[in-house]
Amino acid sequence: MSALTGRRKLIPFAVLAVVAAALSASVATARNSATTIKVAVLSDCQGAFGAFDNQDMAGVVAAFSQYAGAKPKNPNKPRDGWTGGSIGGHPLKLVGVGCSNDRADTAIKETKRLMEQLGADVMVGPLSGDESIAVANYAKQHPTKTFVNGSAGAQDTTLKVQAPNFFRFSGDGAMWNAGLGDLAYRKLGWKTAAVVADDYSFAWTSAAGFITDFCAAGGKVTKRVFPPLNTTDYSSYAQQMPTNVDGTFVAVGGAGLIPFLKAYEQAHGPIDGKKFIGNVFWGTPGQFQQLGHRVVGAYAGGAGTAGDLNTPAAKAYNAMMGKWFKTIPPFGAAAPQAASTFTYGFFINAWGLVEGLKKVGGDLSGGQKKLQAALRQVSLPGPYGTVKLGPHNQAPITAFFQQLYLKGGKLAIKTVGEVPNVDQSFGGSYSTKTPAPGRTFPPCVKKKLPWQGKVITPKVTT
Amino acid sequence: MTVPVSADRIVGAGALLAAILAPFYLSSYWVGTLLTQMLFLGIVAASLIFLSAYGGMVSLAQVAVYGIAGFVLGNATTNGNTKGLNLGWSPWIGIVLGIVIAVAIGLLFGALASRSVGIYFLMITLTYSVIANLFFSQVTDLSGFGGISGIRAPNVIGNVEAHQNRLYYVALVTAFGVYLLLRYLVRTPFGLTLQGVRDDPVRMASLGYNVPLHRTVAFGFASLIAAIGGILFVWWNGHVDPASIDLGATIDVLVIAVLGGLYRLEGAWIGALLFVIVNNYSQRIGFIGDRFHTLIGAIFLAIVLVSPSGMIGLWERALSLFSGRRRGPLDRNPIEVGPAEPSV
Amino acid sequence: MAAVAAQRVKLTALSAHMRLALYAVLILVFVVFPLVWILFLAPTTGTGATTFGSAVHDPKDFLITLLNGIFGLMRVVNMAHGAFFLLGGYIALKLQRQLVGQGSVFGLTSDQVTLVHWLYPVLIGTVIVALIGLLMQQVFLRWNQGQDLRQALITIAISIILADLMLPGYKGLGGGIAQDISWPKTFDKFVNLHVSGIQYTLTRLVILGIAVGIGVSLTVWLKWTRTGMVIRAGVDDRAMVSALGINIQLTFAIAFVVGSALAGLGGVIGGSFASLAPGVDANWLLYSLVVVIIGGMGSLGGAAVGSLLLGLTGNFSAAYLPSNYTYYSIIFTFVLVAVVLAVKPLGLFGRPA
Repeated sequence: MSALTGRRKLIPFAVLAVVAAALSASVATARNSATTIKVAVLSDCQGAFGAFDNQDMAGVVAAFSQYAGAKPKNPNKPRDGWTGGSIGGHPLKLVGVGCSNDRADTAIKETKRLMEQLGADVMVGPLSGDESIAVANYAKQHPTKTFVNGSAGAQDTTLKVQAPNFFRFSGDGAMWNAGLGDLAYRKLGWKTAAVVADDYSFAWTSAAGFITDFCAAGGKVTKRVFPPLNTTDYSSYAQQMPTNVDGTFVAVGGAGLIPFLKAYEQAHGPIDGKKFIGNVFWGTPGQFQQLGHRVVGAYAGGAGTAGDLNTPAAKAYNAMMGKWFKTIPPFGAAAPQAASTFTYGFFINAWGLVEGLKKVGGDLSGGQKKLQAALRQVSLPGPYGTVKLGPHNQAPITAFFQQLYLKGGKLAIKTVGEVPNVDQSFGGSYSTKTPAPGRTFPPCVKKKLPWQGKVITPKVTT
Repeated sequence: MTVPVSADRIVGAGALLAAILAPFYLSSYWVGTLLTQMLFLGIVAASLIFLSAYGGMVSLAQVAVYGIAGFVLGNATTNGNTKGLNLGWSPWIGIVLGIVIAVAIGLLFGALASRSVGIYFLMITLTYSVIANLFFSQVTDLSGFGGISGIRAPNVIGNVEAHQNRLYYVALVTAFGVYLLLRYLVRTPFGLTLQGVRDDPVRMASLGYNVPLHRTVAFGFASLIAAIGGILFVWWNGHVDPASIDLGATIDVLVIAVLGGLYRLEGAWIGALLFVIVNNYSQRIGFIGDRFHTLIGAIFLAIVLVSPSGMIGLWERALSLFSGRRRGPLDRNPIEVGPAEPSV
Repeated sequence: MAAVAAQRVKLTALSAHMRLALYAVLILVFVVFPLVWILFLAPTTGTGATTFGSAVHDPKDFLITLLNGIFGLMRVVNMAHGAFFLLGGYIALKLQRQLVGQGSVFGLTSDQVTLVHWLYPVLIGTVIVALIGLLMQQVFLRWNQGQDLRQALITIAISIILADLMLPGYKGLGGGIAQDISWPKTFDKFVNLHVSGIQYTLTRLVILGIAVGIGVSLTVWLKWTRTGMVIRAGVDDRAMVSALGINIQLTFAIAFVVGSALAGLGGVIGGSFASLAPGVDANWLLYSLVVVIIGGMGSLGGAAVGSLLLGLTGNFSAAYLPSNYTYYSIIFTFVLVAVVLAVKPLGLFGRPA
């Protein structure tokens, strides 16, 4: 630009710029007269988590119905979205629901479609780890739009990307597993453990939580195996799992979990549930019922969720989900699915967005800066504890873990542990300087964590 | 060329003018998303058409090469990212490095496949493509499942989303440059020899030409073009991961090239435009809805069955019908160029 | 002229000897030595089993690559093979669910499935895919025989359409997540083979049995029956076979039906030991391509050797690379292809038409 010789070449650009400015000005005035808030949702309807599409949407639609006067279009099919609803006199419009799979590339394509072609102002989503890292990066390049997370739990999304306009009111995969490793070492007496996790950001984060916790207590992780997400044939990975360990932590998720367990049995004989700890997918309503009696006695990490918690807030949340939806396909009755990581994740983030919008009266002018500032102040009296954002637009959470048991011949889960105030640093283990969780990080180190030996047993309904 | 050149020239100049003025009469979504995408997809397809039309090699490895350039660029230029090498170098070094590495690997690919032609060549290059995809999926040091996000264009182009027209014009100039370069190349002695190799490798070999070497160099050159397309793609997308170069993406570029016509370079951008528009608007046609790939597959099938020379072939046929000329040599079936079996 | 001809005969004889020698060396290097190594010398893995376990635990890989590998048999490269694979699996899956009931989103358990509930879908899936293959060959491929590339593009187009049309079907089965065809209860149990103390599942032995059965019957068919001989002759010289008054079109149709049927069967079996989801055919496609590239087109022996080499490469690189580098094992598949192409551009057993 400083080169004077180039001035003549700039003239066409100057003309172009004037025309473009005039055009955009006319567009801007046109937009100001229509004050609809255009909302988009990015869900997964294919791939490893495609089965949970309606759970995702149930969370979003319930939040907008409960707190912004909207109404589900179909009480038996959350994916149909909502009608009505407004904030500060601005009507709410669901302009589109993105159908991604678990791939970042697809998530970006769908986000572009929702934000650029359909012109959404704010977006709720995505569902899974690497998608959320890509979307947070996209958010960074689009500072005038606002994004709240769906159910994605990769650590990097907030800790490393640090987009000022991407917000996460739910936890990350490591936070969700606080206390699990401590439990394995102290209560179950595991000295050594093997870890198997999907080979992508969320599962790395999830495994990181267990490994850090277990090693901090004094355990040793002797082997880490990472099958790719969407593997359909787990036999060679199951073969690699050592049997000369005290227990195994399984962070294989979505569509892969049951095939993995089957392959494990093919390779090593019947599974003993007491020698296994699973991550969030072992306690996800709709899925855990299908794991079979092999997993009875196993413990499972939650997602900062505890559906059986005996508190008024938790009960009210279940009832609210039952109020807006009769069923959430394909898993049946709606209320028991309220505690699903997907339903809850999309719900709490959408609720955060609604409260932020309320604080500014639905005013999106000024490049949404007011809304983004308001979101940092939002405090949600959530079903499993109060939620408020901390550093990097990431909320600390209360972590819960569950145990699988038999109830009348059927698998059921019971919340057996609670760790309050888990923040993203995981007791000082992770920071913006530490590497991203991966195949080799974190290393296995004994150290002090704030919740060691202090896990609470919460009161639950039976 | 015996086809009435003037009509071609007029249409070509008109299309170029329309493309230059596009930002003035089309929405920013059209320019920034659809047309920019058309331009870089066209560049990749042009590299395929160059190989097929002048070298007799239908390659499915172009998307792999384009991905390699993209991944190298992403690893070299991002910094403080969550994945990849995070070298944080200048975008200009990234471009050079991306292209150089992609061309080097392209030359290796080409050398290995240079003694095969026809269907065998197709299978070998498809294998490259699948292997490249699996390689980047598994090697987390370079990419892994989630790929590289937050890749930015050089400051001159600026934030791609804020200045969509700049990237569009960069892509337009690049595409036009690639087109002229390829047009020039096929008229050089190398280009003429390459066409000789395409038509009769045995005779060329007996005349003393090194057939595999010519094929390898042509493949390397096509890799250069594909790599340029890959660089534009990652700037436009800001992100690259193994899914960006999976089997579907590979087949998409083949579809674009065949739709356009496998024997004239212009076909690349015509095919790309058709592809992008159908992709974007098929959802609005009720009975098609999400079944975009069924529609594009059916169009593809029809083209292969009815007019193997693609849209360009249809245009030329219409022209010759209009001018009353006899069908020229261009009417040959481009999908069957060269001998079907290796003969070297 | 006669001298030249004699010279050529001599050369061919010589090259035949050299080929034999080359094969002997190759077999020694790639088959005998690895087998000896695996059986007697290989170190034990962490599981306590020798690598023998991991080599024989993969009869399925062998079977599937064999099923796919023969797709080059007739020199008609059917790029829709992957789609046929998925379609066979999909039809069987749908049928099994209709027979037994939908089960949960995550599929059936083997307790619910009897032998008939498995055999019947296997049969129907295979037959339907064979018929679709026949239809494709008759409608689209028959009239442009010899135009290899055009045929390949036609089959690619068909695979795009088939794969896309199956998507909503798969979504309907369980929200788009991977699904497996359940083994019958009869097969789903453990047997102790007293081999390095591994509990072996019966399903693997069933797969091994099917693999051997198909391999043997294909060999017998191609080597000793008239149709088989005509097919082999037709691969080498279509015009001559035709001139002899043999209905080459019929023979080609038969070969195509068999090829498609095997793809369908591969899908059903693949869907039984692993799961099926849109896009999983990419891996199988890679395997079959590599097998054809290594083994050479139009050779059953080539397909067998190719799949063996591919399997061994995979197992060896996974077993012997340092644990942090096992993820680089894909490079060895590439190296395998590169080495074969450098030595034999037509594959180990490939011949020019």
